[in-house]
Amino acid sequence: MAKSTTLGLPPVRPLPRQAPRRRAEWAHRVFATPSVLSLLVLGAYPLIFIIAAALSESSLGRPFQQFVGGDNLASAVADTDVIAALVRSTVYALGVSLVSVTLGVVVALALHRAVAAGSFVRTLFLLPLITPPVVVGIIWKLVFNPSGGLLDTVTRFLGHTGAPLSLLSSTDWAFPAIGVADVWEWTPLVTLLVFAALLGQDPEVREAAALDGAHGFRLFRSITLPAIRGVVAAVFFIRLVIAFKAFDLIVLMTSGGPGQSTTTPTYLIYQAALQQFDVGRAAAITLLFAAVVTIVTIPVAILTRRLQQ
Amino acid sequence: MTRAHRGRDRSPLATTTIVLGLLLTLVPIAYLVSVSLMDRAEITSGILVTGEPKWQNWADVLSGSPVPRAIANSLIAAVLGALLTIVFALPGAWAIVRYRTGGRTLAATLMSPWLLPPIVAVIPIMALLRTVGLANTLVGLTIVYAFVNIPVAVWLLEGFVRALPVEIDEAAQLDGAGSWRVLVSIVAPLVSPALVAVGIIVAILNYHEFLLATFLTQSADSQTFTVALSLFLGERLTHTGKIAAAAVIGILPLFALATVMQRWLVGGLTSGSVK
Repeated sequence: MAKSTTLGLPPVRPLPRQAPRRRAEWAHRVFATPSVLSLLVLGAYPLIFIIAAALSESSLGRPFQQFVGGDNLASAVADTDVIAALVRSTVYALGVSLVSVTLGVVVALALHRAVAAGSFVRTLFLLPLITPPVVVGIIWKLVFNPSGGLLDTVTRFLGHTGAPLSLLSSTDWAFPAIGVADVWEWTPLVTLLVFAALLGQDPEVREAAALDGAHGFRLFRSITLPAIRGVVAAVFFIRLVIAFKAFDLIVLMTSGGPGQSTTTPTYLIYQAALQQFDVGRAAAITLLFAAVVTIVTIPVAILTRRLQQ
Repeated sequence: MTRAHRGRDRSPLATTTIVLGLLLTLVPIAYLVSVSLMDRAEITSGILVTGEPKWQNWADVLSGSPVPRAIANSLIAAVLGALLTIVFALPGAWAIVRYRTGGRTLAATLMSPWLLPPIVAVIPIMALLRTVGLANTLVGLTIVYAFVNIPVAVWLLEGFVRALPVEIDEAAQLDGAGSWRVLVSIVAPLVSPALVAVGIIVAILNYHEFLLATFLTQSADSQTFTVALSLFLGERLTHTGKIAAAAVIGILPLFALATVMQRWLVGGLTSGSVK
C-alpha cells in the first residue's frame, strides 16, 4: 500500500499553496479518467445492458422491445442444457486449474533447482503462452487428428492397432482433450509467476534449514511451500478465472460438440446471441454464469488473501 | 545465475523434469511447423517429418490468401492499441497509487471486468460501435483494445510506480513543476523499462484476441489474423498444410518479438503482477 504522505498533512501548509494543490487534484482526476472510463464502458455499461436485456425481449438488432420480468431467467434455469453447461464448465475449470498449477509449480521448482537452466530455457518454456489461443487450437487439432496426427502416429508406433484414437469426436474424451491444450497453453504462466516467487524468497533461510539437516521433500514442505503458498493460491485464482473463459479453443477444436459434450456457458451465450439472435436468453445465461463464476471463485479469493497475510 | 549456484547441488530429478517439460512444450510447436511443410498425402500417411519440404504451402499463404493482410491488420491494432493503453494507463496508475485518486473503490473495482468472460461485453460493445459508426473498422477495434487493456496495464504498472521513491516527485513539485511536468519528465522516464514490458504484454494480448475481433471486424479488409485463421479452418476444402503454414507465419512476429525482448517481457510479468 502506498504511504499517504501527501494526504494527511494539509493544515500546516501556508495559504498560497492551496491554489496549486487544488489544481494538482484536478490533474490527478484527469489522469484517472481513462481508467474510470474503461471501467464504465467495459464493466458498468455491459452489466447494465445485460441486466436490461435479461429482463426484456431482445434481439440483436432491436434490444429491449418489451419488459418480460423474470421469464428469460426462469426459462434458462429450467433449461437442462444450460445447467449441464454450467456444471461442465465448473468441473473443467477446477480440473484444468489443478493440473496446470501442479505442473507449473513442479517445473518452476525444477528450474529454480537446476544449475544449467538459463534464461534461454526459460524463454522456451514461455512459447505456448506467446502462441495465440487460435493457433493453440489448430496445433492440438492436428495432434489429435485421427488420420495421421501426432497422437495417432505415436500410438501406432507403440503398437496400437485397430481403429485410430479419435479423441475430439468422442463424447467422453473431447473435453479432456481440449483440457490438454488449455493446460499446455497456460501452465507457463504458473511456472513464470511461481518461479519469480521462488527467486524472491530469502536464500539464507533455506541454507540455514539445509544446514540443520532439512532436505528434499521436508525442505520443500517446511521452508519453500510456506514461502510461496500465497503466490500459488493467487495463481490458482488467476488460472481458474482464465479457465472459465475458455472459448477460442472450443470454437476451434470442437464447436461445442460432439453433441453438447464440450458446450460451455460461454459457447451457449455465443450461440444464443449471435446465431439465434436471442439476446434476452443470452443475457439470462450470462447472469447465471456470472453467479456461478462468483460462487466458485470467491472461496479461492478468500483463501488467497488469508495465505498472503 | 551466481546466486543459484550457492548451496545447491546438481539434481538429476530437476534436470529430468526440465527436459521432459521442454519436450512437451516444444514438440507440438515443432509438429505444427512440420505439418506446414507437408502435402495432403503426407499429412494422412502418419509421418512426422516430410522428406522434402513443400514450401509451396507457405508461398500459397503469402500470396493469394487474406492472411498477410490480416497479419498486418493485427499488428496495427495490437501495437497502436498497446501504445494508447500505455498513454492512458500510466497517468491512471500514478494517480491511483500516489494520490489515491478514486479512493479504495477505484483501486478495488479496476480489475473486476477481467473476472467476467469477455463474451459479456461483446454485444454491448458491438451496439456502441454501431452507434458511433465504427463497426467493422480497424479504428474501432484499436480503440476497443486500447480501453479493454487499461485495467490490466494499470494493475501491472502499479507495482513499478509504487517502487519509485516518493521524494522524487515531491522535490519536483517543490521546484514548481506541475503534475503534468512531473509525470512526463520524471515518472515516465523512470518507469520506462516497465512501460516497454507492459506495452509488449498488452500488444501480445491484442494480437491473440479472437472473440471481440470476430464480431467487430467482419469485413475482409478489417479482419485480424486470428479471425482470418479461424475462417481458413472453416473452409472445408482448404488443405491442412496450408492452414498450418498460415498459423506458423502468424506466430513468427510474436516469437521474434519474444526472443528479442525476453528480458523486458519476463521482468514485466514477474515484478508487477504478483504483489
